[in-house]
Amino acid sequence: MDLAFSPEERAFRDEVREFIATHLPPDVRRKVQAGDPLGKDDYARWHRILHERGWVAPGWPVEYGGTDWGPVERHIFQEEISYGWAPRLLPFGLQMVAPVIIEFGNDEQRARYLPAIHSGEEVWCQGYSEPGAGSDLASLQMSAVRDGDDYLISGTKTWITAAQWADWIFVLARTERSAKKQDGISFILVDMRTPGVTVRPIQTIDGGREINEVHLENVRVPVANRVGAEGEGWNIAKFLLEHERTGTAGIAGCRQQLEALHELLAHEKIDERRLHERVAQVEIELEALAFTELRTLAAESAGKRPGPESSILKIKGTEIQQAISELALDALGPYAEPHVAPKYFNYRKTSIYAGSNEIQKNIIAKRILKLP
Amino acid sequence: MDFTLSPEQLLIKDSVARFAAGDHAGREHWTTFAELGWLAIGAPDDLGGFGGPLETLLLMEQFGRGLVVSPYVSQVVLAGTILRAAERIDLLGRVVEGEERIAVAYEEPHARYDPARAATTAVRDGDDYVLSGTKVRVLDPTTAATLIVSARTGDEITLFAVPSDAPNLVRERYAAEDGHDAGNVRLSGVRVAGSTVIGPLGDGLALLELGLDHATAALCAEGLGLMSTMLEATVEYTKQRQQFGVPIGSFQALQHRMAEMFVELELARSMAYLAATTLGEERDPVARRRGISAAKVQVAKSGRFVGQNAIQLHGGIGMSEEYKVGHYFKRMTIVERLLGDADYHLARYLASRGVAANAAAPAAVA
Repeated sequence: MDLAFSPEERAFRDEVREFIATHLPPDVRRKVQAGDPLGKDDYARWHRILHERGWVAPGWPVEYGGTDWGPVERHIFQEEISYGWAPRLLPFGLQMVAPVIIEFGNDEQRARYLPAIHSGEEVWCQGYSEPGAGSDLASLQMSAVRDGDDYLISGTKTWITAAQWADWIFVLARTERSAKKQDGISFILVDMRTPGVTVRPIQTIDGGREINEVHLENVRVPVANRVGAEGEGWNIAKFLLEHERTGTAGIAGCRQQLEALHELLAHEKIDERRLHERVAQVEIELEALAFTELRTLAAESAGKRPGPESSILKIKGTEIQQAISELALDALGPYAEPHVAPKYFNYRKTSIYAGSNEIQKNIIAKRILKLP
Repeated sequence: MDFTLSPEQLLIKDSVARFAAGDHAGREHWTTFAELGWLAIGAPDDLGGFGGPLETLLLMEQFGRGLVVSPYVSQVVLAGTILRAAERIDLLGRVVEGEERIAVAYEEPHARYDPARAATTAVRDGDDYVLSGTKVRVLDPTTAATLIVSARTGDEITLFAVPSDAPNLVRERYAAEDGHDAGNVRLSGVRVAGSTVIGPLGDGLALLELGLDHATAALCAEGLGLMSTMLEATVEYTKQRQQFGVPIGSFQALQHRMAEMFVELELARSMAYLAATTLGEERDPVARRRGISAAKVQVAKSGRFVGQNAIQLHGGIGMSEEYKVGHYFKRMTIVERLLGDADYHLARYLASRGVAANAAAPAAVA
């Protein structure tokens, strides 16, 4: 057992750090550091820079433009992104639909979609949740009715981040009404410019505008846009949810936030003992979670796929993110409102998205503890 | 990074696991431990020693899993670490062979776990020292022929190897709630030779802190084992126990509680390993203290949550003396507080970050 990073891994970390320090546009860094919302162009610029360096898609196979990094290098890279105040690129194309197309798609689909995802030319969003289907995703109602070589798709998808910027949306739609609700669901790629697609913004409680409702009314989509077999959508969705959970812990980002909190406490000369104790408790839990993530990575390096254990990272990582935003709120006391309150409001989303923390507990109960 | 165990480590883990799973209750196993080499973990090579904090973790986790009642933490980890750091190879050799048992008496009334707050005095008298004071909550004093006693020699603290049958030394033994041996030690003018000083004069606190950090890491590993068994027993029980015509483990309220217990257990596991790593690699005492105290805070918090909920989810049977989970809970409750509870270690953690014990001075924070 050797729990230290190797000299090669440390050299890699230095290389990434140096690259971010010299290539990240200063105005983007300032926005990330201040916690200000990023615009489409901010993401696009950073995307192009990483694309040119060949680092935009660490998780992809090399033949499609991925890196040959192992789990430890990918982890180091993500850490350095946070430490360098670089944006996390939108995951919907790079980390969600691309792995699905690589795993379940055909050669034409790989050739058509992957290069534009890689270069950042086409922006994607995710159409999963519906007004009546949240945690119970399998009860989704969006319908895709076969009409010659096309599907006619109708229904409403909601809570969609970046839909206002997206060129494409991937949706789960019902291609067949069957007895079992998990059957008859298909995974379909829809061009946002197709007639019948409308995007309505949803303002969130922090005043932000990052999510939307997307309505589809008789939208005509070629059958060739379906990924995988008809009715295979539920399998793909499960594959994707597991993919989505790794990396949601956001540990390096939490370290940054805690560091900022320490600076704040020092700068504002805040000396309430209890506040310092609460910060210390969160800090300790974060260290425990960071080491848990390393154990998960080591298992991955040894060839194990990310499994239900990643639910621990989702639950605890988001609880810690929320706890830090809460501590910042309490630390600033009467001055919290214009500065840190919006972030506190916004971060309530973390324990809801990517499979709510209650759903994660169900997963642990069923799949790890094997409870009935 | 590599998290796999070496063949030697696997061997230790398996042999301890076999022992811990067997019938070990109520008997003395020190000779067996010596024969199996378990008393030599962390000792120097020329004493036949091997391994270090990670091997101690593997052993203690299994001791926790099997609820092994043993003075291992106090007489091997705590005493052994002090003797090794003080280069008392003569005494350490006898400990490794199982020939001599040594306990450590450092805690005092009102000291609240802090080894620096010793009031016991050692007054020079010719070539001798005369020790006076009271030590409380001494771990495993009954079987110890020698007690390592901390006492003030002026402003500094010095450690002395005191024969436990010395005149004017009284051991008041009591059985702790977890069946372990514990006691108070009263020293009313105990005369010892100058040669009993362990390590350099006045270096006692640094030696104690080092020994206590190693022992605390070992307790964290034991806690991990205790929690593992409690969670497994709870999951198993709720799958069997039928109410309202179904296994109670099918109720979501209970499932979520057990999922939370699992998360707490895994955080504690990480911190126990991190503690062992810190001891193996960290040479800076401030960073070492921070790492160990962080681990104890997490293990104490996780242990309390897992333990209390193990009892709760078992219902009435969890309260019964004849069922095992209650015994694990009692030991966990004591492990939580031994060598410093969560509050003590949180304060120590903050101090290592420069936040003072009482009101945190802004200057110290910056």
